[in-house]
Amino acid sequence: MSRNRVLATATAGMLLTGALTACSGSGGDADGPVTIKLLEYQEPRAKVVKALIPEFERAMAKQGRKIKVELVADTLTDEQFHTKITQQLHSGTAPDVLDMGGSNVTGLAGAGYLLKLDDYLDKWDGWGQYYTSAKEAARQPDGGFYSIPHEASLQSLFYRKDVLQRLGVDTSQPRTWDELIGRLKKVKAKTGEAPIVIPAGTAWGGGTWTEGFLPLVAGTGSTFYDAKSKKWTLKSKGLSATFGLYDELIKAGLLPVRDLQNPNPWEPTKYKNFVKGTLPVSAQGSWGWKFDWGPEGAAPIENLREKVATWDYPALVPGTKPYSISGGGYGYSVNAHAKNPDAAVELAKWLSSGTPLAKQLVTVGAVSPRKGLSGTAPYKNEPSLLDAERKLPGSILPPRGDGEDQVSQAVQSATGKMLSGRADGGQAAAAFAKEAKELLGDNRAAE
Amino acid sequence: MTIAKALSGRPIRRRRERGVLPLLLGPSIVLIAVFVIAPAGYGIYLGLTDTQLTGWAARDPQFVGLENFRNLLGSEDFLASLGRTGEFVLWSAIIGQTVLGMVAALLLRTKWLRGKGLFGALVLLPMVVPEVVASLTWASVLSSDGDGTLNRLLGLFGSGAAAPLQDHPMASVVIINVWRGIALAMIMFQAALEDVPDELIESARMDGASALQVFRYITLPLIRGPVFLYLLLTTITTVGVFGLVYFLTQGGPGQETELASIYIFHRAFQYSQIGLGSAASVILLVLLMILGLTYARLAKVEV
Amino acid sequence: MAATTTVEPQAATAPVSPPRRRTPTWSVVQRALQYALMVLLALFCVVPFAWVALTAVDADGGPTVSLPAFTLDNFVRFFTDGGTPRLFLNSVIVSFAATALNLVCGLLGGYGLSRYRFRGRTTFMFGILLIRVIPPPATIVALYLLMVKMQLDDSYLGLILAEAAAALPITLWLLKGTIDAVPAELEEAAWLDGNTRFGAIRRIILPLVGPGLGAAAMLTFMHVWGDFLTPLVLLQSPDLYPLSIGLFRSFTAFHQVDWGVLAASALVYMAPPAVLYIFLRRHLMRSSLGGAIKG
Repeated sequence: MSRNRVLATATAGMLLTGALTACSGSGGDADGPVTIKLLEYQEPRAKVVKALIPEFERAMAKQGRKIKVELVADTLTDEQFHTKITQQLHSGTAPDVLDMGGSNVTGLAGAGYLLKLDDYLDKWDGWGQYYTSAKEAARQPDGGFYSIPHEASLQSLFYRKDVLQRLGVDTSQPRTWDELIGRLKKVKAKTGEAPIVIPAGTAWGGGTWTEGFLPLVAGTGSTFYDAKSKKWTLKSKGLSATFGLYDELIKAGLLPVRDLQNPNPWEPTKYKNFVKGTLPVSAQGSWGWKFDWGPEGAAPIENLREKVATWDYPALVPGTKPYSISGGGYGYSVNAHAKNPDAAVELAKWLSSGTPLAKQLVTVGAVSPRKGLSGTAPYKNEPSLLDAERKLPGSILPPRGDGEDQVSQAVQSATGKMLSGRADGGQAAAAFAKEAKELLGDNRAAE
Repeated sequence: MTIAKALSGRPIRRRRERGVLPLLLGPSIVLIAVFVIAPAGYGIYLGLTDTQLTGWAARDPQFVGLENFRNLLGSEDFLASLGRTGEFVLWSAIIGQTVLGMVAALLLRTKWLRGKGLFGALVLLPMVVPEVVASLTWASVLSSDGDGTLNRLLGLFGSGAAAPLQDHPMASVVIINVWRGIALAMIMFQAALEDVPDELIESARMDGASALQVFRYITLPLIRGPVFLYLLLTTITTVGVFGLVYFLTQGGPGQETELASIYIFHRAFQYSQIGLGSAASVILLVLLMILGLTYARLAKVEV
Repeated sequence: MAATTTVEPQAATAPVSPPRRRTPTWSVVQRALQYALMVLLALFCVVPFAWVALTAVDADGGPTVSLPAFTLDNFVRFFTDGGTPRLFLNSVIVSFAATALNLVCGLLGGYGLSRYRFRGRTTFMFGILLIRVIPPPATIVALYLLMVKMQLDDSYLGLILAEAAAALPITLWLLKGTIDAVPAELEEAAWLDGNTRFGAIRRIILPLVGPGLGAAAMLTFMHVWGDFLTPLVLLQSPDLYPLSIGLFRSFTAFHQVDWGVLAASALVYMAPPAVLYIFLRRHLMRSSLGGAIKG
């Protein structure tokens, strides 16, 4: 009797824990409507998509397909998202449709976590309307597509027109970095504060690569990634020049070194000092028009169009011209183990077309990756974005390849060393080459 | 009478119920084996492979022998993270916690001092709260805004605003860990001090010894054993500190607070390099095992 | 403690014993210094909590200390708003289940280790003591991959099992020691009265090991309740996040930090261990930590 009591307590404990897992199990069922889970990790994106979901469900119902979409909205930083989605895909618990930046796709597609979409895209008339640059940016090292891009972006230098004019500094397109640095020094002499932010260091995470380093190095003309041999060149004139530029900016006190080491480096720089006007130049993607400084952005600037304009990147290496660069954008990827891949792809396509697409573009301030959207509301009312879209075909495509994660990581730590004063340009270039080679292994790094 | 009966009955009973033993120890052994021992062993195996979570290499992990270990031991970043852990342990655990914990324990032993109960409770507070809360409180203290607690205090002395987490990140996390660990040191030393006879101290004082001399020549030699054990114990715990620092700095700025524990987390989960992260774990484990064996041997624990 | 309490009244009645030859001023200065030291140390320990306490009741709280516009709204919102009650519930579920499992295993195991002499017992005790040396960050990577293989990642069960196991070595040691102190004769007498072994454990051992069990329960509960790394790595579903992860996520959220609710959550989060501690401090100080270290 009493022995039973003890055993009962023990088993009750086990049962309790067992029952709890049962609660946490997924609620998907086989018959009835097909359920797809869609993951969004940024609040504005989650908001706009949430409003679109009922429309999608109705549109599908009209075609006689019962599809239910469940939105998983978990607000995370890029790093947290990357960690989380990698783990979920690895363990097979990831949602069906993922909305994420292009830089995530390469590594995940490589590991076989994502569905190859080529067959679906070939049959989709919408795919023909995509800009070549957007398509190429989405193409993976194996030649296939693992995401449907639903935005494009243009990397350029945003500057405070009003502030520079007030300080009497030239606002025309600078031809070379030397010219721009001359102007920045003038600003610094007057304000006493660092006048330009280019993402760098580990705190900015992936942004250090996609918004900071990559746009600079891509304009130097040196081969960084060779698509044929699938190898990264870790030492080149272009790389040295790029590290040299950071070095020069840091030594001249033009880069806000301390703020860049803040755990949330975008806050003191883009959200505070750029808005105040004490830091008038920011290297950045076209989403700045909405996501950062738009009326509903993180740090709104009133009369944005009058106060802010963009420059192309000035030439860094002799013999090159100013350029803008097409940056990645977010795309919808489908989990390779999705139970209903057809329905999942259907959702991704629907969200990447027409009015639903226009609404999302406007929310986050992205450029349309496909032609024929300039007449669709609300996108048609965004002159800054339409401007950027016109520049898209002429912009430079950044290199993309397997091992980008590792190269990004090496760039973060090498630029971080410069920020904390532990390396100059040459040392940082050497440290980068060494660490990247270690991380990539011999078969992905060129000699 | 009953006891005699019981004694005579015992051997039979014991033998008969031997079968119960697996039932008693089984659950514990299974839990520890599966969730503690197996991961440690599996970690060693992973450290010998190039297992990744992303990239093309993730599809087909290869056995690479000692390559990860070679890379790590030649990697400035890893060695620097080990060095940071050493620095962190030295300043926060061995020096900070020990000294302040000893001071607190001695204060608690001072008889005429009033308010010892409250004092003891307040010192315990930082240890009792979850580490996430501990970090959060300090995030506010060290906030680079002019309104941060520290900056307000500095303001009283006419000093300008500081951004300690950016300018002196290592010193900041060291202070935070000292703050959190005083209580444990205090408890341990308090227990040890109970074994020091009051009469000894009283008579030394009467012979004209100063408080410092009493501590140096009478108290310290008597509690040397427990103090030494505490040092080893706190070293081990401090090497394992993760959340307290990660919550605040995520290893930054740059890599200035990337302790070995954070290095492992970053490599394995942020950069998906399970193999490399595991190898780093193994190196850390070996270092600690050496320390731990010393600890167990010196503790001469009775089993 | 017993020894000191007998001495104490004596010292209290004659605080400044006549033979002491120091000048009164010197001893006053010394006392003042000691008081100052005590106050400074106490302030150092408490001041960081100022922000949490003040902001939690502030209607318009920020990341830094300011005098609050008093309100309890933050707590109301904590218990009614979106995800936060869920965080609290998850913490409670995981902590209670893991503690229960840990104690059941620990009690059975501790009894076995205390009452039976078997081969490998010493090695086993020694081995689990060594486990204390393994820092969680050093095994977390492999633990995660193992959990994925066992399909225990991202679930309550996996977290509960891992947490219960992590705290088990200490519980086993503590309870083995406590049960050692219960005379075997008492138990044997109970057998003679017709109790089974498990019956005797329940009737005789359980009531007598209360303090040890309480200390083990508290240590385990505090360990699980406060753990950050294990749930950070094992859990990916927001539905399962405990408070530690919830607080971390909202602290690192880009620019939507609701400081008032964050501080209120912190206060709610730190309350259970703090309250537990106040009640069980005696036990903990005497029986577990002090005892464990002295061997």
